[in-house]
Amino acid sequence: MAVHLSWDLGWDVRQLLAFPFMVNALRAGTIVAVVAGAIGYFMVLRRESFAGHTLALIGFPGAAGATWLGINESAGFFGFCVAGALVIAALPAQGRANPLGGYGERSAVIGTVQAFALACGLLFVTLYHGLLSGLNDLLFGTIIGITSRQVVTLLVAGVAALAVLAVIARPLLFATVDADVARARGVRVRLVGAAFLVLLGVAAAGTSQVTGTLLVFALLVAPAATAVRITARPVAGVVLSVVIAVVVTWLGEGVAYFSPYPIGFWVTTFAFGFFLLAGGYRALADRRG
Amino acid sequence: MPVRLTTAVLSLAVVVLAGCTLGPSTSVVAGGRIDVVATISVWGNILAQLGGAHVHATSIISNPDVDPHDYEPTPADARTIATARLLVRNGIGYDAWAGRAAAANPDSRRTDIDVGKLVGVPVGGNPHRWYAPADVTKVADAITAGLKRIDPGDAAYFDAQRTAFETSRLAPYHRLVEEIRSAYGGTPIGASESVVTPLAEALGLKVLTPQRFLDAISEGAEPSAADKSAIDRQIARGEIEVYVFNRQNSTPDVAAQVAAARARGIPVVSITEVLSPPTASFQDWQVAQLQALRAALADASGR
Repeated sequence: MAVHLSWDLGWDVRQLLAFPFMVNALRAGTIVAVVAGAIGYFMVLRRESFAGHTLALIGFPGAAGATWLGINESAGFFGFCVAGALVIAALPAQGRANPLGGYGERSAVIGTVQAFALACGLLFVTLYHGLLSGLNDLLFGTIIGITSRQVVTLLVAGVAALAVLAVIARPLLFATVDADVARARGVRVRLVGAAFLVLLGVAAAGTSQVTGTLLVFALLVAPAATAVRITARPVAGVVLSVVIAVVVTWLGEGVAYFSPYPIGFWVTTFAFGFFLLAGGYRALADRRG
Repeated sequence: MPVRLTTAVLSLAVVVLAGCTLGPSTSVVAGGRIDVVATISVWGNILAQLGGAHVHATSIISNPDVDPHDYEPTPADARTIATARLLVRNGIGYDAWAGRAAAANPDSRRTDIDVGKLVGVPVGGNPHRWYAPADVTKVADAITAGLKRIDPGDAAYFDAQRTAFETSRLAPYHRLVEEIRSAYGGTPIGASESVVTPLAEALGLKVLTPQRFLDAISEGAEPSAADKSAIDRQIARGEIEVYVFNRQNSTPDVAAQVAAARARGIPVVSITEVLSPPTASFQDWQVAQLQALRAALADASGR
């Protein structure tokens, strides 16, 4: 039953696809990579990485709560992350009469929400006496337990999220680049921002189920951060971000299959490698002028 | 940009649909033996004994230093489960990853034995069913029934293995359980965690340690101060006659109780959660522990 890498790539791929669990893992990984790559790009442009990080962590109490209540884990992830996005969207955008002002105030409030969410997760783990084996999987991801039903759920959520993103992409970009001008031109900045946070919640919830809640950023931030170092053009940036996310997911899952080390480590390491390469490319390009 | 994103959505759908055409392909029998797998070595050992020469048995967790609660399965484990004809998993939240791995590799030819479901203990109940002799019997019966269904041609062989297992190999184990039960039933004991509970129930011993403390230590949670002081009082007053602890999960609280019991002259017995030594058979391991427990009970009661 041992598998091994060979120089014959075709044989390697056939081994990789020999079992349903691995086919499901690749399908699920591809879906979340496309969604995270596209939505993560806008998140990085909008400097909402901290909100994305918080939404990813909110997936943990979501899944732990779902396990405790005996309901579907995917439902817990999506339910909590979307609810968390709505809470963050409802928070005041500008802190009035506050020395910290907008961004500082907002991140402090998001951080408070994050701490409370993690505390809830701890409570659910304690309430669930069934030992919650799989806490590691929840935090750091697994590729061995993804069912076909979960793939369908991820696909439906992913297609819906990308469809909404396609509709709001133009005003969202406008509001991101210059909120005041966008508002003057009739863009409902607050509404577009809130809709985007919900999409971010969906992306974080989906990605959590593959990379684990702690390593969501491997797909949500790293590919986008790499893309913005290579190109400043939004369309090229989104496409590049998606391509990098998909490639690191395939590489990570493929290597995890043949190695004894967990998927979260591999996907994140490949994403980090791409980021370093892009950093080197940027430095070279800047030096040349 | 909307055009590009729509393209992305479509290409995503194409990739996923393309993946759908790849069917599973699994090999089943290795060298004429049936591939069977258990999540933990306790069940794996019983599975191997019952299957004998007609099975190739694998235990996913065989390292005694690995805590099954925290185990993170590898793709190799998933392959083992995917190709096995018979899977024995503990259930009761003890090895939930195995259930997920089985669900991700649907195979109508695989017999899936969930010990918790088999013996009627729901998630949240005491998962250490291999410490309950009646449950061990039920699991052995289910394994033999499963093997006979998979390989009807060798049904007589599997029946013979089952009989030999019960009447000769497990005989000393069942005898000891009966002896302790009739000689020391009702004796109050202290325990470090819920691993001890099913055995104490089978032996008729009364565990005085608060249930919440037993669960907390077993689940790796923080025990409450009230429970700890109640246990200290039981030991100081000599309310318990023997203290039984899991030496594979000796937290500072448990170590302190062991020291206090020894200082008070209360006999202390250590047991393990999994096979010890790892190469021991289920019956040798259990018999050695039961003999130590009987000696401690005899020591405490002066009988």
